[in-house]
Order: sequence, then structure tokens, then C-alpha cells
Amino acid sequence: MDVNVDRNLDCKGLSCPMPMLKLAKEMKGMDGGQVLEMVGTDPGSKGDVPGWCEKTGNELLGVEEDAGIFKFYIRKG
Amino acid sequence: MGDPKNGAWRQLWATFFGKTWPVWAGGIILAFLNVCLFLAKSPWGGTGTYISWGENIYQAIGLFGIEHVKPVLAHSYGLLGLMTLLGAFAGALFGREFAIRIPPMGEMFKGLIGGVLMALGATLGIGCTIGGFLSGWAALSGGGIILAVGFMIGTYFALKYLIWEMEALPKMSMGKTYTFLAAKGAGGVWQPILGTILTIVLLVAFSMRFRTDNGMAMFAILGLVIGIVLQRSRFCLVRAFREPFMTGESEAPVGVMAALIVGIIGFTVIKYMGVGTSTPGAARALAMTWVYPHFWLRAIIGGVVFGLGMTVAGGCAVGTLWRAGEGHVKLWFAAIGFMLFAPISKKFIVPGFANMLPEWAKQKMFLPDRFGYGGAVLIFFVIIVLWYGFVKWNERTGKFTAI
Repeated sequence: MDVNVDRNLDCKGLSCPMPMLKLAKEMKGMDGGQVLEMVGTDPGSKGDVPGWCEKTGNELLGVEEDAGIFKFYIRKG
Repeated sequence: MGDPKNGAWRQLWATFFGKTWPVWAGGIILAFLNVCLFLAKSPWGGTGTYISWGENIYQAIGLFGIEHVKPVLAHSYGLLGLMTLLGAFAGALFGREFAIRIPPMGEMFKGLIGGVLMALGATLGIGCTIGGFLSGWAALSGGGIILAVGFMIGTYFALKYLIWEMEALPKMSMGKTYTFLAAKGAGGVWQPILGTILTIVLLVAFSMRFRTDNGMAMFAILGLVIGIVLQRSRFCLVRAFREPFMTGESEAPVGVMAALIVGIIGFTVIKYMGVGTSTPGAARALAMTWVYPHFWLRAIIGGVVFGLGMTVAGGCAVGTLWRAGEGHVKLWFAAIGFMLFAPISKKFIVPGFANMLPEWAKQKMFLPDRFGYGGAVLIFFVIIVLWYGFVKWNERTGKFTAI
């Protein structure tokens, strides 16, 4: 995705709830406007990440999927 | 898949397997399937599966003097769980979501420990989130309510632990990970094809094997369908108890509430009418189905331990099965911990524990005996409405959420 990434979070291999807990922790340490690239392999994240972003006022810029690996780009609100 | 050029078949496939089903839809279908299990033989449960698998392993290697065990394929719940696992595997293949996902070492260890705690909790408390809670509420058992309180307490503290662990022991969930066999790009079709072949082979094989045993044939087929529905809807009891304390989202709890309502209606009709019974004694035995002697202290002790275990593992007895089928190796370890410890707990820990408890701590509490069928159903519906109110209020206000 064509966006400047400020931080990376690797959640590959992890299953629910670890990716969401890690995402929340990582976002807590970021400044407003910064962008996080989160990488994971849990199909559950496809629904969880957008839902959490909407609820917490963070912006999901895009989702990419290839060979079982999901990439989420999230801008801190 | 049909002919790839045939748009109608593609559409049908995409409708069912293109994306995840709503959790409430999964809940309603699963509750209906649970009513079918009850009509065919006996209600849905998760723990019996692991006890059956574990006892077969110990018998095969000659450990702990565990003998005269029914083979897995002759044990209703050993079979049901096996078919659920295979159904979830097929469901993941249909949706092109299968992959073997190997997590960091620490996560596999957490899976194992979570499985052991679930085995301990389910045997101490008599019942897991499915047999004791989902089926237990449907069975109008007062012990099911107490069990749910235990799950909530255990889940709350295990979630606190997970959040603490990320700060204090970040290495637990970090390290080398691997992903194998994932579906490639948008064009890959081997997963749906394999899933279709597997489903057909299983249906034919088990229909043949159990052609003289209608009950087991039904359990095999229903187990397979349950596995597919679980995986496609990502129906999860851990989430139902955990999310109010974690993200606050209400989808998972509402899905479970939908399952409870349908289950209560179906089970109540069967019990009230004494379906399939011809004597008062048989009707009474039917009414007491899935009403366990664990009201109330026994249920709360087991519930707390089980709640801790399922939250650390990231799946309850049945949630572990469908995630294992989807390829999460952490949940393979949870299943191994559960099946290896459940027979040990059942044989060496539970008898002493049960003897130690006074009579008032391990009662059978069939609510219709106290309040009539109407009153019992009303009590459950009022609890569900209050729970719904809490979950929705908490979703809006975030009063109890951690992240």
C-alpha cells in the first residue's frame, strides 16, 4: 500500500485475542496521525481490526491479503 | 464449485463461503443443530470428546490403568468432536482460510496450559461452555447459571493476566513463526476443491459405517455440519465472556444469546412434551437430561478454572476444535493438554474433590421443579435481556473495557 508507515507490528502466527491486545498496546504508544502497519495470519483479524478501529476512532486506511498473510494500515485518530 | 463459467454456482458459493457469517446466524443454526442432537440421542457437549480421546490414548499405551474404553468411533462425543474438527477443517477450506499457523513457542506453551486448566475446570465443575452452559441453560439447569458466573470471573482474571503478560513477559508472544499451505492469491481453488471432496468422502464413509446405528450416524453428520457452521461464523464462547471486558464489542455475546434463546425453546418443548418417552419414569429422566449435580459451589469452582483456561488458550472446548481445524497450532496444543489431562483429573482428582464437598454444594437444580416450566423459561429470558442490556450499555460507554 502506498503510504508512509511509522511503525510495524508483527502478529504472524498469533491467534485471538493476542493480535487485538498487541494492536491496542502498540497504538497507545503512538502519536495522532502516525500510521501502523500490522501483519497477521489470523482470519479473525479481518473482522476484528476494522471493528475495533471504528469503535476507537482510528482510521483503517487499507487491508491487503496475500498467501494467508493480512496487512492492515491504521492511522491513529 | 460447478462449472467455473457458471455464474449462478459461483454466486451461491460466494454467498455461503465468500465471507464470514454473522455470529448471531451461526448461533441460531448451532442451537437448532443442538436440538437435533437432543432429538437424535443427547445434547451437545465438548468435554466428553477430550475424555474419550485421552482415555483411548492412555489405554493404547497402558498408562494409569485406564481400560475398557470405548473406541473414539463408538463413543458419541468422541465421534462428535472428531467430526466437528474435520467439519471446521472443511469449512476453512471452503472459505480459503486454512493454513498451518505455527506461533511463537510461548504461545504453544500457553495453549497447553490453557488446555490442562480447561480439563481440570470441566471435570471439577461438570461441564464446559457448551455442555454446561449453552446446553445447560437450554436444559433449564440452575447449575448452568452458576457455571456462567464462574466463566465470567475466570475470563476476567485471565484477561488481566494476558494484558500483564504483554508488558512483563513480551517474549511469550514473540519469536519465530511459520505459515504453511495458505491459499495463494485470488485464483487459488485447491482449498475449496479439497474441502468438497473431504465432505463428500466423510458423509459417504460415515453413513456406510453407521448404517445400522441411526443415532451414531446422526452424530457423525451433525458433528460435521456443526464444525462447518462454527468455523464459518467464528462462533466463540470465549469472546462472548471476554469481549465486554476487552473491546466491548457486542457481536459475540449477542450471537450466544441468540443460541441460548433458540436452544431454550427447543429443549423445553422436548422436555415438557416428553418427546419419545412412553412412561412417567422415562419422561422424568428425559426432563433431567443435562441437569448436573453441581449447584452451586461445585459449578463456580469448575467455572472459574475453566474460564481461566479457555481465555489463556484462546478457545473453549469446542472453540479449540474449530480453531485447530482451521490450522492454529496453538489450539492443537490446547487440545492435547485438554485430552491428556481430562482422564487424569477425572480418575484421580475429581472423586476426592467431589467427596470433600458437602451435599448443598453439589445439587441437581432443575428450575421447573421450583418455578414450573413457564417460570423457569421466564427466569432465563429475563437474565438474557439483562445481559443484553449490560453488553449494549457497556459497548456504548466502555465502562468495563480494557482496550
